[in-house]
Amino acid sequence: MAALTEQIALTGAASGSPARKTPGGIGDQLFRLAAYASAILVLLFLAGILASIAYGGWPAFREFGFGFLTSSAWNIGQEQYGAFVAIMGTLASAALALVIGVPISLGIAVYLTQLCPGWARKPVAMTIELLASVPSIIYGMWGLFIFAPLFARFVQVPVSNVVEGLPIVGTLLYARVPSGVGVLTAGIILAIMIVPFVASITRDMLDQIPTVLRESAYGIGCTTWEVVRHVLVPQASVSIIGAIMLGLGRALGETMAVTFVIGNANRLSASIFDPGSTIASRIANEFNEADGMQLHALMALGCILFIVTFIVLIIARLLVRRVKVA
Amino acid sequence: MNAATEITQAQLTGRHQADETAPVRIAVKDLNFYYGNFHGLKSVNLNFHDRQVTALIGPSGCGKSTLLRTFNRIYSLYPEQRAEGEIMLDGRNILDPRIDLNELRSKIGMVFQKPTPFPMSIYDNVAFGLRLYERLSKADLDVRVEESLRKAALWDEAKDKLKQSGMGLSGGQQQRLCIARTVAQRPEVILFDEPTSALDPISTGRIEELIEQLRSEFTIVIVTHNMQQAARISQFTAFMYLGELVEFGPTTRIFMNPEKRQTQDYITGRFG
Repeated sequence: MAALTEQIALTGAASGSPARKTPGGIGDQLFRLAAYASAILVLLFLAGILASIAYGGWPAFREFGFGFLTSSAWNIGQEQYGAFVAIMGTLASAALALVIGVPISLGIAVYLTQLCPGWARKPVAMTIELLASVPSIIYGMWGLFIFAPLFARFVQVPVSNVVEGLPIVGTLLYARVPSGVGVLTAGIILAIMIVPFVASITRDMLDQIPTVLRESAYGIGCTTWEVVRHVLVPQASVSIIGAIMLGLGRALGETMAVTFVIGNANRLSASIFDPGSTIASRIANEFNEADGMQLHALMALGCILFIVTFIVLIIARLLVRRVKVA
Repeated sequence: MNAATEITQAQLTGRHQADETAPVRIAVKDLNFYYGNFHGLKSVNLNFHDRQVTALIGPSGCGKSTLLRTFNRIYSLYPEQRAEGEIMLDGRNILDPRIDLNELRSKIGMVFQKPTPFPMSIYDNVAFGLRLYERLSKADLDVRVEESLRKAALWDEAKDKLKQSGMGLSGGQQQRLCIARTVAQRPEVILFDEPTSALDPISTGRIEELIEQLRSEFTIVIVTHNMQQAARISQFTAFMYLGELVEFGPTTRIFMNPEKRQTQDYITGRFG
């Protein structure tokens, strides 16, 4: 008892006040205020950014109306602007990134948690994490100077020759100018960029599944594939969807690497080999010299990207909730 | 001494007697088990009789779960664990590397410390194991699922929500679902690894009743921390200590007249 009193007295002395006051004293109030302020500051930032971009883009929305979303024009000379090509490019490249990247990520996570011998786990996991720390400009540079020429020579040209004239694939996979850059190239580079994120989160989630669940799945005679396919992945599905959404968020907003490899063409093409552009790449390309209506149009694009990302997040939440309920 | 008296009077009376003439279902010969360098089981020799409940008791770390986990070779998920010796089941040594593990595990079911429903509907939880090894029509599958849920005493509670997730059941119901899933595969042996350690007393009682009923069809091995439970539900008891089998025999004898001093000390609560 005496020791306790002494300790309280000491603490009081150290903080410069004679004795401990009642809870809710001035220090506590300040602390609470500071915490509130920090939280509100983030909301203010977010609202401020959204408001200023919306304000900047407003003239473009007013000028072109709803047509801004559906028009594929982007004509600086005639001051005609539409977001359709960039929106489609953004969605297409991100979708391709997921289609390519997610299976690879799941494969990596399953390998690391279920199949990998103990001694190899650390090095493989480290390599994946290193991949996440590569700056996006490096991916862009590598994609443009090394990957794209190889991709043109060994994929675009042979595939185009095979599919030419065929229905559907003949359009989808035909490169008019096999330069290597294009929507698919951007999708592949994006896939490489999101794999480390999706893979490492998925790995952590698979690791957290209780051992007994895994053992009981093996215990009824499942093969590794059946355990992973029917028990482990469904068990972690909510978190895996979360991981995928994180990857999608990154793919939608990624700017530098995409700007290098997507070709930056404002042309709507049904072929994923053809160049296109995303919202982010369009902004990055033109912001420097833009003024007047072009600047407004770019601001409006930014606003759309904001909203598209937001919608993706909402859909993700709904999906996650559905998985939880089921 | 109190504990022993209690067990004798309350639980041993009127219970099914051990049938020592029942054929041997699993014969363990000179079984040694290693976790890396740690010698977990030391020359264990033991027979498990057909359609009898054998309880494995002993203090924590004595090797009872280790022994149980050799019967379906679930330990082989972990490369540093290995078993040496012989475990004969139907004339085959299940430690033989040529044994098809998945097939073995479909014949030797296991129920774990915690309920482990799979992330799917109640119906699918039970049908899952069936679909792995048998090609059944939808109608036959329905019959087998119902039969299994009835055997696990879960049918009445689950029949109206077969399409709902198994995760939505209570702990005790989940554990019975796991038993139904195991029973559905019509195994020869069912292994229970402390099946009630995560359950409340009422759910525990239901699982114990269930084990008693399942005995008419299956050979059962149960690891338990709870001596009263061993006394209540088993016909044979094996007492293990520090990786060795100390004493094995009919439950009545082990609890009333143990031959070894260590067994006596353990069941009277002097240690463990």
